[in-house]
Amino acid sequence: MLISYNWLRELTGTVLTPLELRERLTMVGLAIDAIDELEGDSILDVEVPSNRPDCLSHIGIAREVSVIEKSKLQIPTSKVTKTEGRAADHAQVEIHAPDLCPRYAARIVRGVKIAPSPDWLVKRLAEIGQRAINNVADITNYVLHELGQPLHAFDLARLTDHQIVVRRARAGEKLQTLDDVERKLDPDVLVIADATRPVALAGIMGGLESEISQTTTDVLVESAYFNPDSVRGTARKLGMDTEASRRFERGADCANVLQAQTRCVELICEIAGGVATDDAIDIYPQPLPARSVEFRPARVESLTSLRVEPGEMQRILAALGFVETPSASPTVREGSQAAGASTFVVPSWRSDVGLEEDLIEEIARHAGFDKIDSELPPSNMAGEYQPVEIKRRDLRRALRSLGFDEAINFSFIDNAHDEQFALLPGLTTVSESAAERLVTLQNPILDEATRMRPTLLPGLLQAVRHNLNYGTRDISLFELGRVFATFKQGELPVEREALALVATGGALTEGRVQAEREFDFFQLKGALEAAVDAMGLGPLTFSSAAIAHLRPGQSAAIFLDDETPLGSIGRLSESLAQPYKFRQPVYLAEIDLSSLLESRGRPLQYAPLPRYPAVVRDVTLLVGRDVTFAELKQAIAAAEIADYAGVVLVGVYEGSNIPEAKRSVTFRVEYRAPERTLRDEEVEERQRKLIDLLLRKFAAELH
Amino acid sequence: MTAEINFEDFKPRVDAIEEAFQQKWERFRYFVLEPDRPEFAEGLNSFGPEGISLLEKAKSALTQAKEFQTEMLGRKSRLSALRKEIRNVAAADRGVAGQAMTRLELQMSQPLEIVETHLNHFIGTILTRQEALDVTLPGWRPRRGHLHPITLVRERIEDIFVSLGYAIEDGREIETDFYNFTALNIPDNHPARASQDTFYTSDGFALRSQTSTVQIHAMQRRGAPLRMIAPGRVFRRDTPDPTHNPMFFQVEGLCVDRGITMAHLKGTVAEFLRRMFGAQTVTRFRPSYFPFTEPSAEFDFSCFKCGGSGCRICKNSGWIELGGSGMVHPNVLRGAGVDPEEFSGFAFGLGIDRMVALMYGLDDIRLLFENDVRFLRQFD
Ligand SMILES: [Zn+2]
Repeated sequence: MLISYNWLRELTGTVLTPLELRERLTMVGLAIDAIDELEGDSILDVEVPSNRPDCLSHIGIAREVSVIEKSKLQIPTSKVTKTEGRAADHAQVEIHAPDLCPRYAARIVRGVKIAPSPDWLVKRLAEIGQRAINNVADITNYVLHELGQPLHAFDLARLTDHQIVVRRARAGEKLQTLDDVERKLDPDVLVIADATRPVALAGIMGGLESEISQTTTDVLVESAYFNPDSVRGTARKLGMDTEASRRFERGADCANVLQAQTRCVELICEIAGGVATDDAIDIYPQPLPARSVEFRPARVESLTSLRVEPGEMQRILAALGFVETPSASPTVREGSQAAGASTFVVPSWRSDVGLEEDLIEEIARHAGFDKIDSELPPSNMAGEYQPVEIKRRDLRRALRSLGFDEAINFSFIDNAHDEQFALLPGLTTVSESAAERLVTLQNPILDEATRMRPTLLPGLLQAVRHNLNYGTRDISLFELGRVFATFKQGELPVEREALALVATGGALTEGRVQAEREFDFFQLKGALEAAVDAMGLGPLTFSSAAIAHLRPGQSAAIFLDDETPLGSIGRLSESLAQPYKFRQPVYLAEIDLSSLLESRGRPLQYAPLPRYPAVVRDVTLLVGRDVTFAELKQAIAAAEIADYAGVVLVGVYEGSNIPEAKRSVTFRVEYRAPERTLRDEEVEERQRKLIDLLLRKFAAELH
Repeated sequence: MTAEINFEDFKPRVDAIEEAFQQKWERFRYFVLEPDRPEFAEGLNSFGPEGISLLEKAKSALTQAKEFQTEMLGRKSRLSALRKEIRNVAAADRGVAGQAMTRLELQMSQPLEIVETHLNHFIGTILTRQEALDVTLPGWRPRRGHLHPITLVRERIEDIFVSLGYAIEDGREIETDFYNFTALNIPDNHPARASQDTFYTSDGFALRSQTSTVQIHAMQRRGAPLRMIAPGRVFRRDTPDPTHNPMFFQVEGLCVDRGITMAHLKGTVAEFLRRMFGAQTVTRFRPSYFPFTEPSAEFDFSCFKCGGSGCRICKNSGWIELGGSGMVHPNVLRGAGVDPEEFSGFAFGLGIDRMVALMYGLDDIRLLFENDVRFLRQFD
């Protein structure tokens, strides 16, 4: 809202400079974005809060200034000197939609001469960014900026039967508005019509055909109050935002309708000549009730800690237009009598005030927020991190030290990914169509991003592509974030937290160009295991599985404690790598972090240190390639060999000197007796027993 | 009994040994000089063919010097044999003969010791030079990753508020209309509800447009008194540009107790900003409007860059706008089951993304969600 400093001075006699006003208005809640210094005037750009439509006018700002300066507001006097006849003799007004238009007033000025506005008016409007059109149109605009009431002037001769009908548009009706756009109307739109057709969009913009022109002699001046929701709805639907709609949709001053109209008519007579009617046709069947608010002065201090003198409270409220009334029927709240409760009638222009707290705010902002003390509340509570938050921190830091950078992607993704990825176990029921299974946005902002992501993977793959495009070849990223799926139509969707990892290229060493080694399945698996371990959770187990987005033979399902399915890991499938144009292997993992975080952590418990040394023996077996390490390990652990204390992998060999269907696996088995050192021959005997068992069980050979 | 010999007969044998020494000594004499003299290296030339390294020649010279020492002074040397014969020298001459032998021994042993010391030193110097490391080469340092700046700032905010007695809460990102609007006293016709500003799912649920939703849940679950912050992801239908994203991160705080006033709000926000931006930070509260607070205030803090004198970051105002706050609206308290006649509270909210942009001088916040590692790797 642009405010002219000179104009403001006429209304308040302010002695503050524009810079001082900027500071003072800002501190009562009317921030000044900028001051434009013009020749002979300064223009203040006021950021008016959305609940203060009264401040979308010079009088509104002036009222605040007069409270600040303890000065008297000089409201422009309106007196039409030359009048003749009754308005009803020249026009008729009917309101067919009183819910959308509670009040409509029309007054006629006859015999005007349409001409350019005088210089002072053109200049004043120009200073606040308004283009001059002609004297009558400019006067309505001037009064709008002065008093905040939008007005419209019709060429009376163009109104069929000199009739005004305020009604909903009929289906199929059209209106050419002043901006020369043909608007298609429907019954949700409130229009001003004449006897036959719409002539204006109520509270938004007039029509081209009834506009004031050079040939206009008789003018009908409209001043009305329209329902804010109706104006907002229509303006939004038609994509319009006008000086009038901006004020009506936030709430105009229903009681100011006649006063503003009189002011406008006075100026028309003065500037454009003509004779006004003695009165206006004022249709106001159900006057809006005045609101009143009960006020306990002691509450000012209890809510803000400010100590304001009662006299000063009275002054602020009175200057803002609140009128104290003796509470005739005191519906006094409990305990408020002692506090000296009173009742204030809210001025008609303050649609934002309805509660005691609103009055407290009025007093506090004019007493000064800067006068409020600054102190911490009494300390009587202990802060707390949620346990899962601490685990998340451990997880992030572990992944960081493993070389992963943290990514954050938008929560909405392209529906092209609908069928590409295997989702977290149990996230959705697989039988339904994607549209039913996934959460879809009604109103996406990025055209292609219509789904709330059910997986973090597409975002990470996109990030890999982005980084490859910019020449980074070695990329490892992780992301923590929610994934979404429909639980049941009409119910809140499922939200689960997921952890996803992606890696491609090599694991780098700082300061050297050559990757230490290329990323492979086991690197990613190890990183995931290490990160989960850092939270004190797990262990994870892995079993070969076919996963939609992963390459067969290099993909696995992930489980917690061998039973709870958590997610998947592996190399991106060829069919998905192609559209991304990946020419190097990309490895991915995604797990259900919510489930993992809900799981019980490993108890930390001291175990006594062994008193006798362990003895180790290596064994190398030639086994079929379908025999997994996990099976072998499991069999060794289950073999119940005396004094068995553990097994670790030494290495796996496949290739030239090994038969094609086989692989050679070397283990190191550890034996330890609790009360003595084992003798060599005892160890040999146990190891032989174990080997015999493995050879039988897996049809293996010693290698 | 063997015949006695006199000194006249003994001396030629001493002289013969000396003469033999002098002949071979010729090759070693350079090594009496300090090893850094050029003649020292030249003297090594006779200890190996051209083309073998100085180190090899020096090792060879050392070996030969030791052999020479053994030959001249060892147990099987002529000197040693001669020493055994001294008892055959006539008693009167025995003293003189002994002195001559001792003198010869010293004459040979002393320079050879010096030669050995110098050669060892010379070899040591070469070896040290060969084994010397370039300690400025990069250490064996696995590349570590980097946390997202939003995580870094969010955690810092969390730490400050936990230390001030707040609990950290989080809730759903897709919410019902009730929690996203109604419970926050946002009227049915408020523009924020329009599909212009808020995302809706096809089932009519809202993507939360502020984390205040969490406050309502927390008040309902925990009741008053209560102190909590809710950091998290929120959504508004803004087209991405350098200062907007349709998704961003926010932290909202809530303190409800008996006797809470705006002074506590000011004190808390000021304390937070001092810890975040430094002890010299000044906070300013301006009246404003939010449906869920009354009175409402926006807070600014003194520009951390220019200290208030005006610069690019603060658009020459000396102040940086950061967030909104106020006393919790009685309708919000009542709606969450808290009696506004008994309890009062304050709430505040601020954008984490904006804090990130301010703290790191980021001029285009779209970078936050592009995941360009050249960006991410600039952070901790
Ligand atoms: Zn600055």
